[in-house]
Amino acid sequence: MSDAIVSSPRVGSASTGGLVEVAVLVGALGVLWFVPDFAGDYWLQLGFRTCVYLVLAQGWNLMAGSAGLVSLGTSSFIGLGAYAALGLLNRVGAPLPLALLICATAGGVLAALVSPALFRLRGLYFTVGTLALAELLRLLMVNVSAFGGATGIILQEDPPALPVLFRYVLVLAFLASLTITLCTRTRVSVILRAVRDDEDAAAQMGIRPYRVKLGAFVLASALAAMAGGIQAAKLGAIEPYGMFGLQWSIDVLSMVIIGGVGLRLGPLVGALFVVALGEALADYPEAHTAIAGVILIVLIRFAPQGIVGLAVKLPLIGRVQA
Amino acid sequence: MPDIGIISSTIVAGVLLGGILALTALGLSIVLGVMRLVNLAHGDFLVVGAYAGLFFLQFTGIDPLIGLPVVAVFVGMLALPVYSFLLAPLAGRGAEAQMMTMFAVSIILENAFVLAFSADTRSIARDYATVPLTLGPITFPLIYLIGFAISVTLILAVHWLVSATAFGRDLRASAVDAQAAATLGVDVKRVQMLTFALGAACAGVGGTLMGAAFQFGPSSGGAYLLNSLAVVVLGGLGNVIGTLIGGIALGALQSIGGLTLGDGYRDLVGMALFLLVLAFRPDGFLAKGRT
Repeated sequence: MSDAIVSSPRVGSASTGGLVEVAVLVGALGVLWFVPDFAGDYWLQLGFRTCVYLVLAQGWNLMAGSAGLVSLGTSSFIGLGAYAALGLLNRVGAPLPLALLICATAGGVLAALVSPALFRLRGLYFTVGTLALAELLRLLMVNVSAFGGATGIILQEDPPALPVLFRYVLVLAFLASLTITLCTRTRVSVILRAVRDDEDAAAQMGIRPYRVKLGAFVLASALAAMAGGIQAAKLGAIEPYGMFGLQWSIDVLSMVIIGGVGLRLGPLVGALFVVALGEALADYPEAHTAIAGVILIVLIRFAPQGIVGLAVKLPLIGRVQA
Repeated sequence: MPDIGIISSTIVAGVLLGGILALTALGLSIVLGVMRLVNLAHGDFLVVGAYAGLFFLQFTGIDPLIGLPVVAVFVGMLALPVYSFLLAPLAGRGAEAQMMTMFAVSIILENAFVLAFSADTRSIARDYATVPLTLGPITFPLIYLIGFAISVTLILAVHWLVSATAFGRDLRASAVDAQAAATLGVDVKRVQMLTFALGAACAGVGGTLMGAAFQFGPSSGGAYLLNSLAVVVLGGLGNVIGTLIGGIALGALQSIGGLTLGDGYRDLVGMALFLLVLAFRPDGFLAKGRT
């Protein structure tokens, strides 16, 4: 498949670049860990949202940028994770990290289960299928009373305090970024790109496109489920319209396209941008989403590599980026 | 167990409604066939049609069913700049770029509807929307029959246009192989533009019918889109008559699902069918369109 949306970033020198990236990630985790000691609730809220978005965007970027899978079904896995997390916390009394791990497993299993349907056809039908999956799950949750029906379910214990949640989600964002770094800085990235650029040629070279795409989809879905789980733990009350809502899928898609599809910094820049845009237009929710739409159209047309792609083209930053 | 009258009424109503669903999906189907574009704003085009029918009635007082040609032309004209300014420049950039652009258009339209018309649900209130029609043990709303008749007529007209006219020949050629068609002198860009406008015009009519039969609001587009996709998947890509069959099948199965499982499960049946067909019969609907 040849398209600008998922066109190739240049391949950096794999090993040294990878080590630098890991070092930067560890450093960022070390510094941000202490943010709750001096930042107020407002900034912690923003930080929490940014981290959740970053986890989602990392997974989406892996699928779209590396494996050519454009998903509109992120909310399926967020919703699944949210329901699984509150179910585990309420019924079993599981500690949050364990609940999140189970969420990740559930997300990965669901992705694997639906992949035969979604991967049967290439490209666009994956997108359409993911959209239908999210709607199916939402309707299921609305109708089945065991899951709380349209009113949803409530966390019975008190949600953890914001600083605690912030550190959880920070670690989650760190782990997500680290995993994606391992995927994109090793031989796996070559395989992923080969599948994205020409499935048939890749298959002739002995790569199994189905497995590669499945791997990316399962990993991204596990990440989304964990993001959904921690979001639910923070909210303390969830209902199907919100957790399975299309808005999640819109947000994550916007973030990655705005940041730069297939670029390492794309998800981070996109997440920061979308959170900032949301804050700037907090009083005008309709205008906010519509403006995001306009930005999407303009970027797809004139800067298919997003903000990071534009920045890399500037000579000075471009040299540093590599 | 409900009695035979309710069962047969439900199935007849489902089949009639399915005809309308087929019309709402027709534009999506032909655009997909000719342009390889999953128009994610298709549902919002239908909503535009519903609002257009509503305001046509409010401002002129003329019945929107008589005004359908006006609505069709209006929505079709609106689609022209969308094609020329947003889609045409992305030609050759792959399917995703155009699809994402239409997704963005969908987001913008949906929020524009809220800003312009408020978030209220509305309906095109006419007598025939509520009047029941009784034939022996079978009862269903009159609008279903009217909508079915209009939809089937329009679908057959489009079928004729595609299969028996010079434009239809160009359209089919562009759908099978755009490059080859261009080499043979077909103005593919013009064909695509007209196809896109035709699809939107059909959506305009379908939207007005949906607006007369049911309530709608600014965010109805998502549900419309998903139903249309299910119809297209069931009936076959770019296949006009297949779309009609797919619509009727979906309408009937949704009604049966609603009757046996409860009304909330209507749409769920559609989505489940959609994914099942994707999983088990993908070639049935993509024989022409594999990329």
